[in-house]
Amino acid sequence: MQASDQPITQDAPTADRTEPQAQVKRKVTFQCRNLTVELGSSEGATCICRSVNFDVREGEFISIMGRSGSGKTTLLRILGGLLAPTPDSSVRYYGERVEGPPPGVITVFQNYAASLLPWRTVEKNVALGLEGKVGREEARERVADALAMVGLGKRAKDYPWRLSGGMQQRVQLARALAMRPSVLLMDEPFGALDAMTKTSLQDELLQVYERTGATVVFVTHDIDEALYLSDRVLVLQGDPSTIGESLPVHCSRPRHQIETKQSEGFLALRRKVYEAIMQRHE
Amino acid sequence: MSSRSRRLGRVNWPGLLTLALLAGAWEATVRWSLLDYQYLPAPSAIARGARTLLASGELIPNVLHTLMVTLIGWSIASVIGIGLGLLLGLSPTAYRYSMTSFEVTKAIPPITFVPATLLIFGFSLRMELVIVVYVGVWPVLINTIGGVRGVPGELLDLGRMLHMSSWTRVRKLIVPAAVPEILVGLRLGLTLCLVLAVVAEMVGNPAGLGHALVRAQQALQPEKMFAYVLSAGVLGITLNALFRSAASWMLPPPAGGPEGGTP
Ligand SMILES: Nc1ncnc2c1ncn2[C@@H]1O[C@H](COP(=O)(O)OP(=O)(O)O)[C@@H](O)[C@H]1O
Ligand SMILES: [Mg+2]
Repeated sequence: MQASDQPITQDAPTADRTEPQAQVKRKVTFQCRNLTVELGSSEGATCICRSVNFDVREGEFISIMGRSGSGKTTLLRILGGLLAPTPDSSVRYYGERVEGPPPGVITVFQNYAASLLPWRTVEKNVALGLEGKVGREEARERVADALAMVGLGKRAKDYPWRLSGGMQQRVQLARALAMRPSVLLMDEPFGALDAMTKTSLQDELLQVYERTGATVVFVTHDIDEALYLSDRVLVLQGDPSTIGESLPVHCSRPRHQIETKQSEGFLALRRKVYEAIMQRHE
Repeated sequence: MSSRSRRLGRVNWPGLLTLALLAGAWEATVRWSLLDYQYLPAPSAIARGARTLLASGELIPNVLHTLMVTLIGWSIASVIGIGLGLLLGLSPTAYRYSMTSFEVTKAIPPITFVPATLLIFGFSLRMELVIVVYVGVWPVLINTIGGVRGVPGELLDLGRMLHMSSWTRVRKLIVPAAVPEILVGLRLGLTLCLVLAVVAEMVGNPAGLGHALVRAQQALQPEKMFAYVLSAGVLGITLNALFRSAASWMLPPPAGGPEGGTP
């Protein structure tokens, strides 16, 4: 069951949103080879992931699934350069070894309440990463654009703690978008939200994805969400975990909350992913 | 604690009523000799004592002295506490090397240093200030360290992810995140500074409320003594209220989480 990169390179590019280049082989954004993670406590190191291999291609929307504690957050932190794997692992971003957060890679954290600054207004939160990096005028423009993209233009002067959970997560997304990222790493961003808010944020995210052409690596424990959003779903299995499955999602875009989720392809995949996640745990 | 309830200007009428009833009960028990001690005056007598002190010009200078020492001592203590706290909170090395000494020193009740300070500095303003500064540093120092070290991991990740320099991270993320906890330390420090200023005046520096209070006691003037006691209380309440309103004006209400302005 050693997951290799084999099935991935066989994937036909599924998203048609870049139609002219759809047939052109996309560049590899992230390349992980023999990725092993050991996290230490005082008693010694535990191996979280072992020999994980996968690629993320430019413009791809990829979801990582797995049981709680399977190392999804850990994996995302490694891609984001916030955590180092063992020295013999290889993680490359456009061919360069990842040592610290790579340029253009922005993480949207799971815990939005802890990652927004309560002493800053919404617009100042969104501007945080731009300060001192771009001119004042440009920063203002980018902040306004980003807030408009997530539908929060009217709440710019408000404090984040006055907003609902869904809006707070939108602020975090806007903060990421203001950076004009080439890659978005999202860790269960909608996990804490109610079903209605969740579906509308999913659709907003897909619009942003179409519009910006960013590459997205999305962690979730919600199978429907993973399939609905992604071009490909990776399933972590085992302990220490490794990539058990890499399943391409051949549902056409733009997707639709009801039609897509009731299509035969979707339902078949749903079953497959479910079985992949449950495997070896029965 | 809702954001509203800690705003200044709210009068707690039921609370005041209880206070008035207690004072009334005290007045009654003394008047009717239910409590019959020679040197326990009734509230009305204390009020007369306070009026006499005000008229003779004894009260205000004493209050001002204590107020001044408290504020100066507290300011020095706050600067030291915040500065040292940031250093120890931000540098794991400094923290590791100094924490044992701090734990040991912290365990000694500050009041036990009063006689030693008196011996070293004599009956002087300096002695009083040293005590006040010493006692005021602790809560500020401890809360600054706690605030800095308790900054959520998400914020640290955020700073790195946005490629902030370490100085920018300290300035824009770590210090603001620690502000609510630092404010709690500052407020505790203010209270302790006042208390120790009065203590230092009682036993050391012959000035201020503490000294006047002891003098009134030795002169067997309980009304005056209690008037000074009450003045110290009023001073404490006033300082606390001023601090609270300054703090809540500085921060938008729950800006720094739940500790924002709670006691
Ligand atoms: N700093 C750490 N030190 C040791 N173990 C950790 C640390 N952080 C997470 N872990 C462990 O690593 C495993 C994977 O964690 P995580 O990546 O958060 O999983 P997931 O996001 O899939 O739920 C868990 O078993 C967790 O207990
Ligand atoms: Mg997680």
